[in-house]
Amino acid sequence: MSAPAVCARVALIGFALAACQKPIKPGDPLRDLTRAERESFDSGRVTFDAVFTPETGLGPLFNSASCGECHEDPAAGGIGDEVELHASAFRAPVCDPLVGEGGFVIQLHTTPALKTALGIDSEPFPPSATGRALRTTPVLFGRGLLDLVPDSAILSYADPDDRNGDGISGRPNHFVDGRLGRFGRKGLVPRLDEFNDGAFSAEMGITSPAVPTEETVGGKPIPAGVDPVPEPEINQTALDRTNAFVRLLAPPTPLKANKAAKRGRQLFQDAGCTGCHIPTLTTGASPVAALSRKAFAAYTDLLVHDMGPELADICLGDATAAEFRTEPLIGLRVKHDFMHDGRDTTLEAAIRSHGGEGKGARDGFLRLSAEEQAALVAFLKTL
Amino acid sequence: MWRPIGAAVNGKGRPMTHHPALLVLLLTFTQPTHTATRTAQMYQGTVHAIQAHPAGLDLVTGVGFALRLVHMRTLPTTSVDSAGTTIPLGHVKPGDVVRADCRMTETGLVADHIEKLGPQRSRETP
Repeated sequence: MSAPAVCARVALIGFALAACQKPIKPGDPLRDLTRAERESFDSGRVTFDAVFTPETGLGPLFNSASCGECHEDPAAGGIGDEVELHASAFRAPVCDPLVGEGGFVIQLHTTPALKTALGIDSEPFPPSATGRALRTTPVLFGRGLLDLVPDSAILSYADPDDRNGDGISGRPNHFVDGRLGRFGRKGLVPRLDEFNDGAFSAEMGITSPAVPTEETVGGKPIPAGVDPVPEPEINQTALDRTNAFVRLLAPPTPLKANKAAKRGRQLFQDAGCTGCHIPTLTTGASPVAALSRKAFAAYTDLLVHDMGPELADICLGDATAAEFRTEPLIGLRVKHDFMHDGRDTTLEAAIRSHGGEGKGARDGFLRLSAEEQAALVAFLKTL
Repeated sequence: MWRPIGAAVNGKGRPMTHHPALLVLLLTFTQPTHTATRTAQMYQGTVHAIQAHPAGLDLVTGVGFALRLVHMRTLPTTSVDSAGTTIPLGHVKPGDVVRADCRMTETGLVADHIEKLGPQRSRETP
């Protein structure tokens, strides 16, 4: 048998095996994990779903009592119905994340002890803020893959001066220490582990070896006696387990596309959506084979784009009030509210909300016939 | 391997690797330095504010969304450079990203050396 014929048979067998694989559901781990990796994933899910109390470190300021409270639907790592409040101040020429006033995440709940001490139900809104923002909880599926996309790949999509004239001028955001960011709606945070470690503090008031100090109350220290649990309130093992769980959460297998959805995939490209929602990204090398050098359906460029004045809320890092990181469309079908603040309840409305650099694609969508628009949305609902 | 460079490097970081051979190598070559610089701390972050009297600066550092302010004093002996060139401390402005080599003293953190890495790249106009 000739070599091409052998290759063709091997490919056919590969496709057949892939077709036989059970679809990955939201909340499932990546395929082909080692036994140890699978055990890390399973033990991490326990920590992810653990509910903290003031006696185990919760607060005194917090947004939720567990990771799973905000990432629960339809499975651990999914979305939640919580909407949180962020704030920052633009002081030309830089953005102030208001760390001196408690930071840009405004915790919306307090423990009974803090309420008794200060008489507050939430962190005070920073008086010098120049902007406020609402943030829905994102899905966490596939974030381990996004974490491993090389910086160089992200930068290859940047076109800050729109030299190719396509109306899209994405650029990277940077963390406070200058590293390239990618996580968060403003693309501020460089690494997935850091995003998770920071969330223990900013979202739950849980100190850890990575973040050993408590949040302040509007910039003022926590009153004495309010938080009796010694720092750190969780150990490195708990952090590592949680990070392993999030890192190994798989992107759900897209639903089987019907004829309309298949057409919609092409229309998604034709309308210009793929100018920012890059369909496929590839990870770099990783000691976790299931994450290493994998091409995956990301639908993001991990850059921030000016989305126009209608969507603008707060600056963060280098990102202006109007700039947002292209939302990955992994697991889009589980979402009920769309855009960074959940303003839209349908995908059609979300597309219509795109302005600024997204205006070209939005207009491309609006130029489609009703049938074509439905096809494009049908495609998105398979993701 | 990852270590948060936005936070103090004081030997309390997370496990560097699970690969035994690399771990042995890292332990072999880092242990003496670690012991010798037990009180040295490096911070990398964005300058939030600069104080003239007493001289000092506030740096925004942190991990993920958990940002913190770190205050450090500067002395007349504090060296400052940018791209290998010595510059006056006055050339460091809020919004600049810097790396500060510090030591903990009885009166707080003191910066011995500051390297200006670059400004934030905001393009928003007031």
